[in-house]
Amino acid sequence: MNQRHHVDGQPAFVLHAYPYSETSLIVDVFSQDHGRVALLARGARRPRSVLRGVLQAFQPLELGWAGRGEVQTLIRAEWQGGQPLLAGKSLFCGYYLNELLIHLLPREDAHARLFSVYAATLRRFADGAQESDLRCFERALLQELGYGLLLETDAAGLAVEENAHYAYEIEHGPVRLPGPGRSARSVSGRTLIDLAREDFSDPRSLAEAKQLMRTLISHYTGGRSLSSRRIFRELHEL
Amino acid sequence: MNTPSSLESLIEALRCLPGVGPKSAQRMAYHLMQHGRPGAQRLADALQLALAALRHCQRCNTFTESETCVRCLSSKRDASLLCVVETPVDMNMMEQTHAYSGLYYVLMGRVSPLDGIGPGELHLDRLLARCGDGVVREVIIATNFTNEGEATAHYLSEMLRSRGVSVSRIARGVPVGGELEYVDAGTLAQALRERRPVAG
Repeated sequence: MNQRHHVDGQPAFVLHAYPYSETSLIVDVFSQDHGRVALLARGARRPRSVLRGVLQAFQPLELGWAGRGEVQTLIRAEWQGGQPLLAGKSLFCGYYLNELLIHLLPREDAHARLFSVYAATLRRFADGAQESDLRCFERALLQELGYGLLLETDAAGLAVEENAHYAYEIEHGPVRLPGPGRSARSVSGRTLIDLAREDFSDPRSLAEAKQLMRTLISHYTGGRSLSSRRIFRELHEL
Repeated sequence: MNTPSSLESLIEALRCLPGVGPKSAQRMAYHLMQHGRPGAQRLADALQLALAALRHCQRCNTFTESETCVRCLSSKRDASLLCVVETPVDMNMMEQTHAYSGLYYVLMGRVSPLDGIGPGELHLDRLLARCGDGVVREVIIATNFTNEGEATAHYLSEMLRSRGVSVSRIARGVPVGGELEYVDAGTLAQALRERRPVAG
């Protein structure tokens, strides 16, 4: 952790940026081979800084940085292109992904597979974000973090049956119920199978998968409420 | 070295300014006390006066000394157009264009989901009430072309469209006098995506 790093030409996305000192930014970055890193972008808030328009979230960048310790220094940032700017609902979904990564992904832990899922999800968002994209991303994220979901076999090791009812026990998997459950963790066998296949053509599967994922994510974020979700909800309440 | 407590509290107070860290605050404080005492007095008076006199215009939300600002009261402005900007500085920039004669609404911020700033924090209900006066026909959204500015624009357009107000967004693209060779690739890519048919 404390050795001196020198990284160049690293594919990365900005997750969030915070103002730092008089003219600089601390950028929370998700990079392909180094995971989440915090970088100090010196002078990035100066009026004529070349970094000003580049360090925007949801855009593929190529970054170079160096230093040791928790916050390293950004040396180079180049815009890669190919990703249209997000707008409307997709933009809010993008914020949701970023908030999940900020809260759940430990720093400096490489997650190259998740990085490519993230990039692919943003590309799909450009044509309009679908709820199913969010579910697939959430599943990939939990899987990467080692909280992989048990979907095709139940907690007792039996194959999940389409018409059966289950309660999803966190860290154990689906536990079969005699009938439909009433809690946020109750799901039908069909939903579990659809989630495993990433098939969300059935609206009921989609609705149940959303409930299930929300419960799981709330568990792993320690019950923290996500502000991107709150602000997106407020949009519909206007 | 022992800094007198009044000097220390002055340094601490100056740090509330954006972009002023401990070093700059110290430099400013020493300058004010050593070389700029008349200036310091003027600063103190001006601050006190501004604090007592300034408030938000009830129509456009910018700073004013009266209930409604001069611009909102002017009969020369087109009251059917309302331009929404993030900050008073943005409003001044729009005025410098000499291309706009309508009225304004200043949000005093932007929607920023990861900083927890949403419609409640921005008091968007006040803008909604402003647009519902029956005179405003078109709302022009002139928030920044950052992700937060776009999020704000989306919010406003959803909110206003459902209430039957016509909503537009300022255009973006290659700057006036811009040569493609020197324009950044991101701007050019977006200009290409948002191209429009040539009239005529």
